[in-house]
Amino acid sequence: MLLQYILNGLAIGMAYALVAVGYSLVFGILRLINFSHGSIYAFGAHMVFVFVGMNFGVWAGIAASIILTGLLGVAIDKVALKPLRKKNSIPIASLITTIGVSYIIQNLLMVFLGSERKSFPDFMNFGSFMVSGVQLKSSQIVLFSVSFVLLVVLSVVIHKTKIGLAMRAVEQNSRAASLMGIEVNSVISFTFFLGGASAAIAGALMAAYYQLVYPTMGFLLGLKAFAAAVLGGIGVLYGSVVGGLVVGVTESLAMGYLGGTYRDAAAFIILIVILIIKPTGLFGKKGITKV
Amino acid sequence: MKKFLSIALIAVLTLSALAGCGNSSSSSSGSAAATPAASEGGEAPAEKKVAKIAVYAPLTGDHAEYGNSFKVAAEIQAEKWNAAGGAGDYTIEVVSYDDKSNGEEAAAIAEKVVMEKDIMGIIGSYVSGVSMAATPTFQEYGLVNISASASHPDFTKEGDYIFRNNTVISVEGASTVDAVVNNLGAKKIGLLYIKTDWGVSTSTIIENLVAERASEGVSIVAKEECMDGSDDYSVAITNFQAAGCEAIIVVGMHNTFVPFARQYRQLNPEIGLAAFANLYNQQVIDLGGEFVEGTVFPVSYFNESTDPLVAEFRDAFFEKTGTYPSGLAAQAYDAAGMLCEAIANVGADRAAIRDYVQSIKYVGAGGETSFDEMGEAQKVFKKVVIKGGKFELLA
Repeated sequence: MLLQYILNGLAIGMAYALVAVGYSLVFGILRLINFSHGSIYAFGAHMVFVFVGMNFGVWAGIAASIILTGLLGVAIDKVALKPLRKKNSIPIASLITTIGVSYIIQNLLMVFLGSERKSFPDFMNFGSFMVSGVQLKSSQIVLFSVSFVLLVVLSVVIHKTKIGLAMRAVEQNSRAASLMGIEVNSVISFTFFLGGASAAIAGALMAAYYQLVYPTMGFLLGLKAFAAAVLGGIGVLYGSVVGGLVVGVTESLAMGYLGGTYRDAAAFIILIVILIIKPTGLFGKKGITKV
Repeated sequence: MKKFLSIALIAVLTLSALAGCGNSSSSSSGSAAATPAASEGGEAPAEKKVAKIAVYAPLTGDHAEYGNSFKVAAEIQAEKWNAAGGAGDYTIEVVSYDDKSNGEEAAAIAEKVVMEKDIMGIIGSYVSGVSMAATPTFQEYGLVNISASASHPDFTKEGDYIFRNNTVISVEGASTVDAVVNNLGAKKIGLLYIKTDWGVSTSTIIENLVAERASEGVSIVAKEECMDGSDDYSVAITNFQAAGCEAIIVVGMHNTFVPFARQYRQLNPEIGLAAFANLYNQQVIDLGGEFVEGTVFPVSYFNESTDPLVAEFRDAFFEKTGTYPSGLAAQAYDAAGMLCEAIANVGADRAAIRDYVQSIKYVGAGGETSFDEMGEAQKVFKKVVIKGGKFELLA
């Protein structure tokens, strides 16, 4: 029973991690919490739904959605956030802007695709099997392993490639980076693209896992992923992964032992407890100025 | 220049706002004003007055399809009466309000509706808890409220103006339990319920109903709660599996039932599923596909019936929406029919309409309906199974 709860939680937790990474990436570079991320995730899932409906096929649909959602991330930065940076406005203005953008995306999804729950293609389900008394769904394994591979790819991009080096440079000191000839603006755009793309993949995976897609799907998940990012130490990639897993497992255990209605509170209770003990999060560095 | 522009803008905005007011007031009073004007002109010999029937229901959000089906059903009923020359001296008009499935919205709508003197009765809302935020106002001001879907036991206890054209959950629940025991042949039953007023009280009723059948070896072996419209049921399913359940009774709407059924049937395709009349909705089959096959539940209205009154409503509904009506839509349709019949017989008098509805013997799409002294409709349930992507009557 306990093992079953933990495995259920790990599968979901990995998807939280994938969304949490999006928060972490943007925070690392801009010191900004991008609250539109949950809606970007919902947008990604809806785009897969739309493309599949247009007979793209699932894989082409996901690919198209990843690109489109990545571009949406870039567009949000260019249209709403960049002008604020240029004018050196206070950080809270950008924060509020991202919340606003989040609602705009969510409402546009409602206007064009309807607010009801829609059935999502069931492409990850190949049945289920028992391993030493624990029942595993193929969709859980796919969810876990795809998220895991993507997180490895992301960390390779950040630590082993030139653009990753540029991202880390901008993260440490954007003015110095720009003096060294790094195109800060394109690095920021790339970061938003990565965040959007990973949210789209997470959206497609979660929508397929539950076989459901609806405009407000990103709201609570976005908050939980944000909690996961803060829990692990925002701005630290592997911190987000650990945070995501902790949130996923905690809520699965809460559902199992306390009842289904405790699910959503559990993530935030654990967040508060950890922040009281270690204010920078599990792996957070000191000296980060929080927004 | 900037100043001039802003003043000009303000002027334009003010004008357009005023124009907006002008339009809306003229259109809303238009129907009332038209009556004397028309009779003075004498163009129509017996110009009818307008009596309105209101619908308050969730027209947006998770329960929107139910709310919109209520609205369409009431409109079809009004069109039917108007085409036949109106209800007595009155032409029926349907006005609808969106309560977003939110009690505060519903209460605000109630305050507004009771003040509109030409509204003769109101149908709604969808969720019991939401309706019960509004019913005190209807009772206080004396406006008949007929709910087509409320199933909370306390709903009609608010007072004598509150009626329910939907049977109480204990009758419906008995039919559900019967289907689980006799049609699914299950003895170990799991109970999943949503944590709302309706969900909690219904789950208790089901527990009692199952306990009454203990002599047949039937029992509830696991009971799990969940949030209304949650996505993740993995833990509840784990616990049901561990308890060895043969069938699950889902106390929830289709936004709970369908994801639950999909997730459960992925793990155990054999699990028996049962629920309530609110599953009688094409969306359940569209969203659930093969995963909801074999689900049993009770209905009081059935589209495939040979009754001409059913056929008339079903075809009119299909023509308007492209889908077939749910049982709840049929109950809304009948509720509107009762109000029309009352208006035809006693005129536009809210108190007289109440008395008429209380003693009504209405024959409609959902069979013959009358109300007991509590305002509860008396109905007979049939059992339905989902088979081959269709709803089928069970013997």
